[in-house]
Amino acid sequence: MAAPPTMSRLEWLRHELTRRAFATPADTAITLAVAAILAWLIWLDLDWAVVRAVWSAEAVDTCRAKDAGACWSVIAARHRLILFGLYPYEEHWRSTLACGAIIATVVLSCIPWFWALRRLATLWVTGFAGYFLLMEGSPIGLTQVTTDQWGGLSLTLFLFASVVLLGMPMGLGLALMRRSSLPLVQLVASLVIDFIRSLPLLTTLFTAAVVVPILLPDWLQGDKIWRVIIAFALFFACYQAEVFRGGFQAIPKGQFEAGQAMGLGYWRVLALIALPQVFRNALPSTINMVVITFKETAIVVIIGFFDILASANAAFGTGDWAPYYMEVYVFVGLIYWGFIFSLGQYGEYLKDRMAVARH
Amino acid sequence: MRTWKSVLVVAASAASIALAPMAASAESATLKTAKDRGTLLCSGHNGSYFGFVEVNDKNEWKGLDIDLCRALAIAVLGSQDKVQIVPLSWAQRFPALQSGDVDVVIKATGWTMGRDTELGLQFSLPYFFGGAQIMVRKELDITTAEGLDGGTVCVAAGTTIERIVADHLKTIGIEHKMVSYEKTAEVISGYTSGRCDAYAAWGPNLAVLRATQIDAPDEHVILEDKLSSEPIAAAMRQGDDEWVDIVNWMLAALIKAEELGVTSANVEEMTANPPNPTVARHLGVDAGMGERLGLRDTWAREMITAMGNFGEIYERNLGQGSPYKLDRGLNNLWSNGGVLYAPILD
Repeated sequence: MAAPPTMSRLEWLRHELTRRAFATPADTAITLAVAAILAWLIWLDLDWAVVRAVWSAEAVDTCRAKDAGACWSVIAARHRLILFGLYPYEEHWRSTLACGAIIATVVLSCIPWFWALRRLATLWVTGFAGYFLLMEGSPIGLTQVTTDQWGGLSLTLFLFASVVLLGMPMGLGLALMRRSSLPLVQLVASLVIDFIRSLPLLTTLFTAAVVVPILLPDWLQGDKIWRVIIAFALFFACYQAEVFRGGFQAIPKGQFEAGQAMGLGYWRVLALIALPQVFRNALPSTINMVVITFKETAIVVIIGFFDILASANAAFGTGDWAPYYMEVYVFVGLIYWGFIFSLGQYGEYLKDRMAVARH
Repeated sequence: MRTWKSVLVVAASAASIALAPMAASAESATLKTAKDRGTLLCSGHNGSYFGFVEVNDKNEWKGLDIDLCRALAIAVLGSQDKVQIVPLSWAQRFPALQSGDVDVVIKATGWTMGRDTELGLQFSLPYFFGGAQIMVRKELDITTAEGLDGGTVCVAAGTTIERIVADHLKTIGIEHKMVSYEKTAEVISGYTSGRCDAYAAWGPNLAVLRATQIDAPDEHVILEDKLSSEPIAAAMRQGDDEWVDIVNWMLAALIKAEELGVTSANVEEMTANPPNPTVARHLGVDAGMGERLGLRDTWAREMITAMGNFGEIYERNLGQGSPYKLDRGLNNLWSNGGVLYAPILD
């Protein structure tokens, strides 16, 4: 509820509180009790996470003290493992820059100025080529680091960005095919979408990573990471195609007919009339899909990729640090939260912007 | 009739003698692939498995299984850096082996009949033995599972341990309740919070968890009952017998070195003055170790110089040199009360 214009925010807050939380003595009692419990819980967490916490990386033994709280030393000592996985220690600056390249690409793609086919294409090609060259290294004269050594946050981000950027156009393509008036095209799209959607993601990725090498000759296989990205993108595309289809169905049929009556061809009806509305209609579900995909990248741990969760597991998986898995998970959780919260906020911004466009 | 038979036998043995050198010199297909590639592909883990596969602060692999991979790389390619550790999940290890993503799986893998037959694998000599064991609080004052009557046992769900423990307790007539949890951390908190009287798990893991994840390790004892003994061995694809030979003799050479008293510290001195012909051959002073496997005569010496003998590898990763301080127990040499032995190096 927004504050009425006559009140300041603070006044409004006080008004709402007295009206809702302190109206009767019983209300007051409940409010105070809940507040006390909350304060106590927050204090417990703060006490563990800050007051009694151990921060220095050298002092493994101080963490073992009876009254020690969170042992953030594990992050100090092992954060490079969590962030970069098995990437060679001396080359971590490359992984850092590559991470930056992917984040910059994603952030820039979110800025409306880039929303033109040529600009977007240039941005993506530059961003991904930059990531690949930095990580792989051999084409620009750095030490070669093969894809099986990529890991940690930079791998998670790369998987996520590639899957969404590849999957989005694929999804649109599949949605258009499914709406096609040619029965064969429509049938193929329906079969592909329904087939892949009825498989668990795990099965799809396991097939791409493990079964394909048994079935295909060597020269057709490519690197495991590309097979997995393509399979994951296909999976994403099949769901996204249905999201787009929903976006199409919300447009009254009359608009298409009106477009045709104006003499516009298929592609121009699509580009000028349908797509702007499809994107707007599909936006909330699309943001949802993107957020889910970010979290689902963690599943690649099953096929032996060292994504951020696997490297987190390795970070506490050694004698000295074994008891401090909670701290590592909190750290990784905060990283996930940071990215997903930003995605959500961006979604809100887009919604507002499109709402403005509608009026 | 009888003469016919003896003629056949003689002919067959003559043929086998004539063919034997040919068979021995046939190069293993896996070895050839690894040589052409310049690296040995060995299994890692998608995370960490205490003592066996871990990652250190410099983002490098370490652990008992990793050291065996490195030893194998020295044996076949001459350098421990020529191994590439491929991270694999548990479910993925055998398909990855079959598809050629790895040359060998050395990953705390039990030798079972199903894997040996249906999955089309071949196993090496076992290099580690561990079985289900039970830990209890010291204050219960019991040393065997006989004392657990009416107690509650915590286990991780979906493992063979659950069945083994239930079978064992039933056999010795002990009434008990079993509580299973999905994750190791949950089993630990179930046990430490007093929800269960006992904690059953794979022995080496149990000892590691006691040493690292429980506040006062001294207040807990692992019961004497050995409920099972699972031989842990390297797994290879079926059909490349020469490769199995190489992996077997790699393990045998490490175990034999311990038996002969050859360590990474004294290997140079032993090479300079071999105390007996066996050591001389083992270290490649006299010929004999290499040719029969299609390797260099000095492969075992190089391996021991870099990695140490089996005892040193064990102590570094699981034993006194590690945070886990796991006793050798069953994993000692046969001559020291364990079950590890090497076939004869003739």
